[in-house]
Amino acid sequence: MDTFANFLNGTIVLFSDPMGILIFLGGVIGGMLFGAIPGVSMLTLAAILLPFTAHLSAEHGIMLFSVIYCTGVYGGAITAILFNIPGAPENAPTAFDGYAMTKNGQAGKAVGAAVMCSAIGGTVSAVVMMIATAPIANWAISAFGPPEIFALVFFGLAVAATVGAKTLWKGWLSILIGLMIAVVGMDPVGGIPRFDFGMPYLLAGIHFIPTILGFFAVSEIFVQAEKKATGSYTAPKLSVNFPSLAELLAHKFAVIRSIFIGFFCGILPGIGATLAAFMGYNEAVRWSKDKKAFGKGKLEGVISSETANNAATGAAMIPLLALGLPGGALTAMMVGVFQMHDMEPGPLVFLNSPDLVWVVFAAMFFANLSILLVGFLETKTIINLLKIPFQFLAPLILLLATVGAYAVRGLVIDVVVMFIAGVAGFFLRRSGYSVAGIVLGLILGKIGEQTFAQAMQMLHFEWTGFFGRPIAGVLIVAGFLTMASSVYSAFFKKQ
Amino acid sequence: MGKLRPGHIIETAFWLVLAGFLYVESFAFNKSIEIYKFGAAGWPRALILLMAIAAVGQLLYQYYAGDRATGSLGAATDDGSEEAARAAGHSSLNWYASTCWLLVIPFVYMRAPDLVGLVVPLDKAGIHLVKLIVAPLMLVLYLLSMRGNHVGGMLALPIFFAALLEDMGFYAMAPLFIIGVTLLMGERRPQWIALTIALIMGVLLMMFVSILYVGLPTGNLTPFYEFSNWLVTVLQ
Repeated sequence: MDTFANFLNGTIVLFSDPMGILIFLGGVIGGMLFGAIPGVSMLTLAAILLPFTAHLSAEHGIMLFSVIYCTGVYGGAITAILFNIPGAPENAPTAFDGYAMTKNGQAGKAVGAAVMCSAIGGTVSAVVMMIATAPIANWAISAFGPPEIFALVFFGLAVAATVGAKTLWKGWLSILIGLMIAVVGMDPVGGIPRFDFGMPYLLAGIHFIPTILGFFAVSEIFVQAEKKATGSYTAPKLSVNFPSLAELLAHKFAVIRSIFIGFFCGILPGIGATLAAFMGYNEAVRWSKDKKAFGKGKLEGVISSETANNAATGAAMIPLLALGLPGGALTAMMVGVFQMHDMEPGPLVFLNSPDLVWVVFAAMFFANLSILLVGFLETKTIINLLKIPFQFLAPLILLLATVGAYAVRGLVIDVVVMFIAGVAGFFLRRSGYSVAGIVLGLILGKIGEQTFAQAMQMLHFEWTGFFGRPIAGVLIVAGFLTMASSVYSAFFKKQ
Repeated sequence: MGKLRPGHIIETAFWLVLAGFLYVESFAFNKSIEIYKFGAAGWPRALILLMAIAAVGQLLYQYYAGDRATGSLGAATDDGSEEAARAAGHSSLNWYASTCWLLVIPFVYMRAPDLVGLVVPLDKAGIHLVKLIVAPLMLVLYLLSMRGNHVGGMLALPIFFAALLEDMGFYAMAPLFIIGVTLLMGERRPQWIALTIALIMGVLLMMFVSILYVGLPTGNLTPFYEFSNWLVTVLQ
């Protein structure tokens, strides 16, 4: 009852303030637009807006970012489906089947499924977030220490290596490239500079936003340019044909499974929506009787990935607000908003600023619901981007990416890094490597190394200590089993 | 040789050389940390070892299975880029050499003042003069080198554009960049290219400069710096 009363109170506070309504609507539309425009993402918008939140109240600033998070995660699916450019890494698995559906002339159906499943996943997640924040946070605090988080990162990477690249080894090499990029800069224990080659720029590490923009948006333009040069480029067919209720009901188990996966992944710090989407997709393949249809335009692929990543958004707020641990790039920026207002996210926020917490919760609930309405209206306009010939769209995407990379820190070298990543992504993609794997490695690399170092210190440098902790032990064993089974199927199973 | 092709061996050699290079470089920060016995180099070296193992695993697999994907998920990720490259003959040594040369050009521009500085000491005005002379020279070199290799030209153009941003600014370079990209993508109609420039620049300047007040690179060379500032003043 308290939860409902708090939610009602948060809703009243949110919608009784004209400024709050304006910021809410701006966040909903901005998140979707920036998620949907190829070459930029919700992270670009968040990065651009971050300095300006100093002029807003902490309540409005955090609310704006949480709304952008919900609608941006959905918006990124649009570009993944239409252009094979995931707006963010969490939309990468959506592209596997979504883009194939676009090439089959079913873009409308894929987008429609993304709208409905994002809204369902996000809304359910927001409701569970409101009910379960305190008990889950308490459980996570006691059950998840550094060994468990490292074990989960290891398991996540072992799963991700089997998805996205042409072979298992190319999957691992892709992830290892990402992990190596994350090594550049200061080491997390002693602050010793690594692989800086005497360049001051590299001391702070390679920023993930230019790298993501390069590997996804820029490399896609290069691949399309090559296809155009060879005459193999085919403009995607345009259709608006939303899935029927019966089609969605037929995938109800996929939706429910992905909500569970998304929520579980989202709640763990440093994991978030990216692994949620990959695991949602992977489990859909594992449970399906028609595994070979995945990647060729199967609706279930889009449904599983999009439900899972939006289900992670609500859950990702729990470690941020309860423990002060960001689950990903956008929640990390939210820490920046807190700091600009001389606040630290963590358990004290619940005590000192209950209004802030419940306004944010209410805003996230309504933002997910609004995906249904605004998403349908918006996709009818955004989908028309397909009609623009690629030679006119390409410079726009490249220039938006340029502005996005530059806006993060105001450094031209970030733009250079982005284009170098784009060239590297182009060569790696055409050799069967996975750019999504690289980005996953890059994002999880820092937290992986940090938690490994903390875990080893906790376990007095005894490797077997991982197996003395049930959750960590199970996850490590599951990771090794995933690797062993993939190697076995690669060599010994008939293709 | 099993099902191995020379390309497979080159690919493995690339990863092993990269792993070797990174291992050698790791000695630069192989320092002990009192509270952490693996030191600063422990984690990267473990990754380097895994990289070498994965590269060898890949070679063994290619010996056994050639170019076959592993599992349905591996096959599902094929976006046609490998096929497009093979169809275009963009896998030949000549193509790689030509593309590498094109990719070097922007870096020659970036390092030009340092290279000239080895022969003649340069002050700030001298550095600016070198950049103003080298930029058009590199552009001509780029245009000559990219004939017959439009994809290589497309790969190098954004890096060249980024290299010029610091000195000549976004506002002056972006229209030229749009012309370059649309031409490389096969568009030849001047009126459509002009319309693209007007629309893209209009949207970008309106959204980022007039509304969001995002400071884009203005450049630091005369007259580009003055032009950028004039435009920003007008727009804001």
